Amino acid sequence: MNGLHTLATATWPHPEGPGEPPALPGFSASTFNPLVAAVAELCLTRHLGAEPREPDPAAGRTGLLLASAGGDRATALAIDTAAASGRRMPALLFFQSNPNAVLGHIAARWGLAGPVVAISPREAAAPGEIPSDALELAALMLADGDADQILIIAAEQADRSGGTDHGTAVLVTSA
Amino acid sequence: MSSSAPPAARPVFTGLGVLSAFGRGLAPLLAAAGQGRTGFTEVTRFDVARRGTRRAALLPDPPPLADAVLGAVTDAWQQAGLPDRPGDTPVLLALHSDLHTGAVADAVAGGVAALGLPGVARVYTGACVAAATAVADAAALVASGRHPRVLVAAGHLVEPGVFAAFDAGRALARDGELRPFSTGRSGTLLGDAAAAVVVEADTAAERRGALPLARLAGWGRAGDAYHVCRPRPDGDGVARATRSALARAGVDPSELGYLNANGTGSPMSDLAEARALREVFGDALAELPVSSSKSVHGHALEASALLELVVTIAALDSERLPVNAGWLGPDPEIGLNLVLAGPDRPRPRYALSLNSAFGGANTALLVAAA
Repeated sequence: MNGLHTLATATWPHPEGPGEPPALPGFSASTFNPLVAAVAELCLTRHLGAEPREPDPAAGRTGLLLASAGGDRATALAIDTAAASGRRMPALLFFQSNPNAVLGHIAARWGLAGPVVAISPREAAAPGEIPSDALELAALMLADGDADQILIIAAEQADRSGGTDHGTAVLVTSA
Repeated sequence: MSSSAPPAARPVFTGLGVLSAFGRGLAPLLAAAGQGRTGFTEVTRFDVARRGTRRAALLPDPPPLADAVLGAVTDAWQQAGLPDRPGDTPVLLALHSDLHTGAVADAVAGGVAALGLPGVARVYTGACVAAATAVADAAALVASGRHPRVLVAAGHLVEPGVFAAFDAGRALARDGELRPFSTGRSGTLLGDAAAAVVVEADTAAERRGALPLARLAGWGRAGDAYHVCRPRPDGDGVARATRSALARAGVDPSELGYLNANGTGSPMSDLAEARALREVFGDALAELPVSSSKSVHGHALEASALLELVVTIAALDSERLPVNAGWLGPDPEIGLNLVLAGPDRPRPRYALSLNSAFGGANTALLVAAA
């Protein structure tokens, strides 16, 4: 895939696990952030073991790339609804008002200190897949030199037309 | 840290376009920045009666967001002197992630198609470093020889949801003034902006006789690995991004002539950034003019890094550096050589624009006189 070597992969929901990702402390109102955190956790656990190791020599140059065509629609809707109502906005909605926030959670937990990037591909990836846009960008970032590994996470929430939340994570390095 | 592969080309800027609270074009923005004249006014665009802070830097009658972006794109395109249907030119676009992101990107894609461009190649939604990330990627695409030029655009217009969220998160300045690095700073203020830049290979620009406005000499990115939204207190991520940009350009910290800091006016974030600068620049920091142009034009979120990059590029061509407005007096923990209203200075050969965002994302863009 685009000159990338895959170190680990994970999908959510995963066949043996629960359908719902665990709640994520500090985040509310939306399944998006727990989904991103759960699939990232599963991928990193498969590569590094059950608990974050300290220090992991590669972590300091591991970047994060979140790709979501739909983004966190539930949080966006909650923000718009709260603003329109005139009621006081829950403060947690500020903290999760952009997709970088959950990447900060993952980066802090695993010590990943490379670039932090979020994109919105024009087309949502199918369950179990990473958008080609994200793979191309990961390859560019690796070639450019600020990271040796990239954790790519694709996440989409169910929309009004149906479907289910789904996420895919791959940890890649240059082939 | 830069790649060991030699670059195929050096990226330069051949066109800039900007819309800010001061109107369309670079001249009114630079006049305000050079005088430290801020664009903040009472918000009347939507109801802020229940908000703790009620000020932002706003256009009086803003166009729809996609039209604002397309105006900046058109200006950048015309300044670059590019022909219709220039061929291989991806468009990278930075926008806020919300319920309208896809529709705005579609409208921008339709508009750029009129210039003969193939649409929007990628949409960046990574908060306050979204546009700087797009510029770094544009530089990588050009320097590696993948494309002769890339157009980067960004837009953010202040709207009620984001304003209310920032207010609820106590991120906005309670006294209605953005005071980066100053004693008494209490938070940021939002601002409208759209901006666009043409990043082009120096060889491609030379072949068509285009005069570069500046060079994009270096770029760097690094993460804090610290917290969902709080900056790492020692500024290590900012420092590593800055060192990466300087190393890529082969520029010694003492050669820098101006630094446009992230400087949101947040008590914690400004202090972390100042610590990062002390770590990178050491004794040279005492002589380095620093300001945050956000103090004049406000924080334009996903568009902020591109707006500030345009201001930073313009600083290369001026003896009057952007003023750090809102200054009340020194914070003894900060200790920066801030640009306050005062005498003209020598034109900088190199200038740096820094940005940081939620998730501990940090970017550094180093520009050089052409």
